[in-house]
Amino acid sequence: MARIVAGLGLPHSPGYPALVAREGPTSETAQLYQEVARRLDAARPDLMVVFDSDHLNTFSLNPLPTLCIGVTNQTAGPNDGTPGVPQYIVPVAEEAATDLLRFGLQAGFDFATTYEFTLDHSIMVPLHFVRPQMDIPIVPIFINGIVPPIPLAQRCHALGQIVRQAVETLPGDLSVAILASGDFSNDVGGMLAPLDEYSGSPDVAWAQHVVDLMRAGTVNQLVRAATTPRMARAGNVAGELLNWIAMLGAIGDQRPEFLEPQADEGHAYGFWYLDGGRHR
Amino acid sequence: MSTYAVHKVCWLVHHDPEFRERMRQDPATAIADFRLTDEEQTALLAGDVGSLALMGAHGYLLGFLQRYRLLGLDRDRYLEHMRPAKLRARSE
Repeated sequence: MARIVAGLGLPHSPGYPALVAREGPTSETAQLYQEVARRLDAARPDLMVVFDSDHLNTFSLNPLPTLCIGVTNQTAGPNDGTPGVPQYIVPVAEEAATDLLRFGLQAGFDFATTYEFTLDHSIMVPLHFVRPQMDIPIVPIFINGIVPPIPLAQRCHALGQIVRQAVETLPGDLSVAILASGDFSNDVGGMLAPLDEYSGSPDVAWAQHVVDLMRAGTVNQLVRAATTPRMARAGNVAGELLNWIAMLGAIGDQRPEFLEPQADEGHAYGFWYLDGGRHR
Repeated sequence: MSTYAVHKVCWLVHHDPEFRERMRQDPATAIADFRLTDEEQTALLAGDVGSLALMGAHGYLLGFLQRYRLLGLDRDRYLEHMRPAKLRARSE
């Protein structure tokens, strides 16, 4: 029986790869990604389910899936010219993706499916930092956390729970990690960005509250707090929190082994080990 | 719900080089066949991204207009146009 051994959450700011290339491996951002990378390495997953919000580079606006699973054997990215990120080939766990799709539909999650797709910075930046070897096949699950109307936190949490059940039906003795990508408070090009900035975190207090609830392992409280209007006040891409909520649904009410915010940036770096997974 | 049409214009600017070039050469003709409201059309041609944001357009998508320096926008002009919307959002 397959089992979930770890959860991780990361930001995907498209400027980070070039920033880290400039500032080197001792920079704060490089160190934070490295904290998660070495734990992921120790967890030795065989595959990784990735909850992500495409930034309209994998999909167009028509149709725009609310929930979508990518089913293929390999993909590539970044498809949006992220500075400092080379072109990678990313293996996809095609059979597991198909199983998750079928399990989800049977459980009432009406996924859209994409069989041909590439990945943008929102998946490639995290992978570039924590797994540049690109040797862990992924199952990408896209949640529209960006273009309103976005789905409910409750629904994304339940999605994560279904993914956990689905993983536990996968054949073989697979160890599975769950990756969430995104920010808790960030506004890009919109009217909630700082007055003289193109982008930035308009609601540092909300991001800190999210981190506090995650640190306490009180996922249900987080789900209740993350109403659609509350997330909207935290910026026009703050719905990326839904990816973290789905990840937390998959791993359950656990305290993180590592969780470090970059408070001013409105996001955090986190890692959760699960029972049955390898502990430090 | 014509926010979709504004979003479509912005998305095409980023993903369709031929459309981007038409937006550069003759924006009024390039957007003529989109299902934009009169207000959206006027604001778009004026590069008034602040009004478009207040009408519901997403900043991430509007941002492509300044990235490709269309409709008289660059990063500074974009921020100038967005400023009234930012002030209004803060007063609410």
